[in-house]
Amino acid sequence: MTAATDQRTVLAVRDLKKHFPIKDGALQRVVGQVRAVDGVSFDLLRGETLGLVGESGCGKTTLGRVLAGLEKPTSGGVYFDLSEQQRTELDQALRAGQGEDLAQLEAAHRVDRLDATNWRRFRRNTQMVFQDSFSSLNPRHLVSDIVGRPLRVYKEASGSALTERVVGLLEQVGLGRQHLYRYPHQFSGGQRQRISIARALALDPELVILDEPTSALDVSVQAQILNLLHELQQNRGFTFLFITHDLSVVRHMADRIAVMYLGRIAESGETTGLFDDPIHPYTEALLRANPDLTGDDEGFRGLEGTVPDPARPPQGCRFHTRCEYATPDCGWEIDDVVLQLEDTPALFDKLVGVERRSPFDADLEFVDASAAAALETALHGDEVPSSMKAAIEQVSVGAQTVSIKFREVNEVLLTPRGNDRLAACVLDALPSRD
Amino acid sequence: MSTTSTSPPLTTSHESAFRVRLRRMGETSGRVLSNPTTLGGLVIIVVMVGMAVLAPWLVEPNTPNASQMPRDWGAIAVPPGSPGHLLGTTNTGGDVLYGVIWGARTSLRLSLIVVTVTVAIGVAVGSLAGFRGGRLDEILMRIVDVFLSIPELIFALAIAAVLGPSFRNIILALAIVFWVKYARIMRAQVMHVKQNDYVDASRVIGDSSWNIFRKDVLPNSITPVVVQATLDMGNIVLVGATLSFIGLAEAGLAEWGVLVSEGQAGISGGRWWASTFPGLMVFLWALAFNLLGDGIRDVLDPKTETR
Ligand SMILES: Nc1ncnc2c1ncn2[C@@H]1O[C@H](COP(=O)(O)OP(=O)(O)O)[C@@H](O)[C@H]1O
Ligand code: SF4
Ligand SMILES: [Mg+2]
Repeated sequence: MTAATDQRTVLAVRDLKKHFPIKDGALQRVVGQVRAVDGVSFDLLRGETLGLVGESGCGKTTLGRVLAGLEKPTSGGVYFDLSEQQRTELDQALRAGQGEDLAQLEAAHRVDRLDATNWRRFRRNTQMVFQDSFSSLNPRHLVSDIVGRPLRVYKEASGSALTERVVGLLEQVGLGRQHLYRYPHQFSGGQRQRISIARALALDPELVILDEPTSALDVSVQAQILNLLHELQQNRGFTFLFITHDLSVVRHMADRIAVMYLGRIAESGETTGLFDDPIHPYTEALLRANPDLTGDDEGFRGLEGTVPDPARPPQGCRFHTRCEYATPDCGWEIDDVVLQLEDTPALFDKLVGVERRSPFDADLEFVDASAAAALETALHGDEVPSSMKAAIEQVSVGAQTVSIKFREVNEVLLTPRGNDRLAACVLDALPSRD
Repeated sequence: MSTTSTSPPLTTSHESAFRVRLRRMGETSGRVLSNPTTLGGLVIIVVMVGMAVLAPWLVEPNTPNASQMPRDWGAIAVPPGSPGHLLGTTNTGGDVLYGVIWGARTSLRLSLIVVTVTVAIGVAVGSLAGFRGGRLDEILMRIVDVFLSIPELIFALAIAAVLGPSFRNIILALAIVFWVKYARIMRAQVMHVKQNDYVDASRVIGDSSWNIFRKDVLPNSITPVVVQATLDMGNIVLVGATLSFIGLAEAGLAEWGVLVSEGQAGISGGRWWASTFPGLMVFLWALAFNLLGDGIRDVLDPKTETR
């Protein structure tokens, strides 16, 4: 294979996890882990724009920060700048487990293990634009300092040559010489985001991670910034990771989309295909919610229920608590019963404790026998989804306890669906509506 | 053709940047001084510091050690307005005017040394704890908590008493006590400021930790320290005078606390001047720096309040 046709992978992400400890009490003991990113794998190819989409809190920012080298992963790896052959070798080595091949690849490419030279190369070539344009510019620095800083760090220019480079960068983002000696507070939100973009582009990086760069802006300004980014990408061939909670924002910009839900990728694929023919019910729900460019930050209308706690992600498929197509194989578990109980306060108040043998198998203890019986009846009632009923393998009512055992299922993993598409769903295709 | 466009002309960049920064500093100072009370405080400070600096020309020392009160045994406890003794003398013939003016010099020396040393130590410790975090932070803050559990005046008094009565030891005692506050303020500020995205932006660029601290964290954290240091320029003189009043400085030192203490016995006999003038100076000094400190805070840092 010649270098010319060699499609380089800017970032190869392999089973990446980032957990944050939850500390509690006077002793600050660790009582749990927020699984902000919980097993994400994908490739980011040179020159492409990948849209990373998902509701607020699903781990997009955390993923972006790990990829930018701002946080160390809890486990898994981010690999920088691989040739096609190296990528194949990496996946073989990862499958084979720890070995000499892997160690060698990691020293040169794994972001949290790079030696000084490679780290410098990664650092120069991976830049980030943050969501909050107010917090991302030092209020005491002039625009000339802010945009010129990367060039100064790498000693690319100084004196009047530096000023001219900065002017050039400002002009690229639609600002100009007249803005050099102003402070950030003298600009509007959109202009500030332009300054951030100019700073990120100063070193002509390979990859730019854009974390909701337009979410905080007015609608009209949003469109301008999107156009600017699109143009820059087209003209200069950057690789973009475009993070957003709003699918419509990336529709015209992204070559590929990865839909994230609760720390994992639910579906990914080429943009038009994914929009026209989603496979994952979550993707479909996002599309149906179809928030237009109103800057509406309320989340996705049309998507019911709330996002589960990332410290206790649901079993099986993480989306099963909200999925309208859920099957008995989607991971129904004891937590779903407790959730149902919470909606019936009269019964929930009588719950004394839950003795779990596994996430799928537990004894629920009540204050009296009538409450236990009431739960058993409720489990057959209309409130409980039929797929959940079908997933129950055993219910037995004791004196004051109800033992429930669900069908045990494994985590639903991403599987190839042809055409560069991956989806994590037990269904082969979306059931036709109505 | 004369244009007054906002875009800077094509002069060298540094000149323009310099002018913009200078203008901003000027505007900020202007805003601080537009408040009449703050301005009043500054005027008092200028006068008192002027006295301190010009002391050798204002009242000529005729003793070998200028910081000691000269004695005029021919004019014991003469009232203000007496020839050669504008503000009167003490029971031991010490010229009150001399004590007031040279006392300003002593106070300026005291407050400048203590504030410089304590701000340097406090900012270093607080920055290290807040910027690095982790175990180091825990250890440093444990030490700070121990210091903070003892009231400032009592602590300084105890140290000065143990070290023995001398003005040098008062300076040392105050330095030991006063750095803690700055460490606490600085740590809290740094922890807050380092969460800003501009700090992460600098990390993504690849700038060094030292540069990030120096350019991003320190300048955005320092304002409350400046405010506190201004207030302490006054407070330290107050505490210092208290310590020398109760006899922890050398007897006969040209210092306001010593002078108040010397004149104290005369008050019941109607000889009010020996205590009143230096006492008034202490009060004015502390007041002036507090007015200025509050003024700076109101403009630069409206959110913080003193503890
Ligand atoms: N530094 C942190 N410490 C603890 N929890 C965090 C931290 N950063 C993010 N989280 C948690 O991780 C989850 C994902 O957050 P985030 O990555 O910001 O999501 P998104 O950008 O998609 O809104 C949230 O539950 C959030 O509360
Ligand atoms: S696996 Fe598919 S059908 Fe089942 S809950 Fe998840 S998204 Fe819905
Ligand atoms: Mg986010």
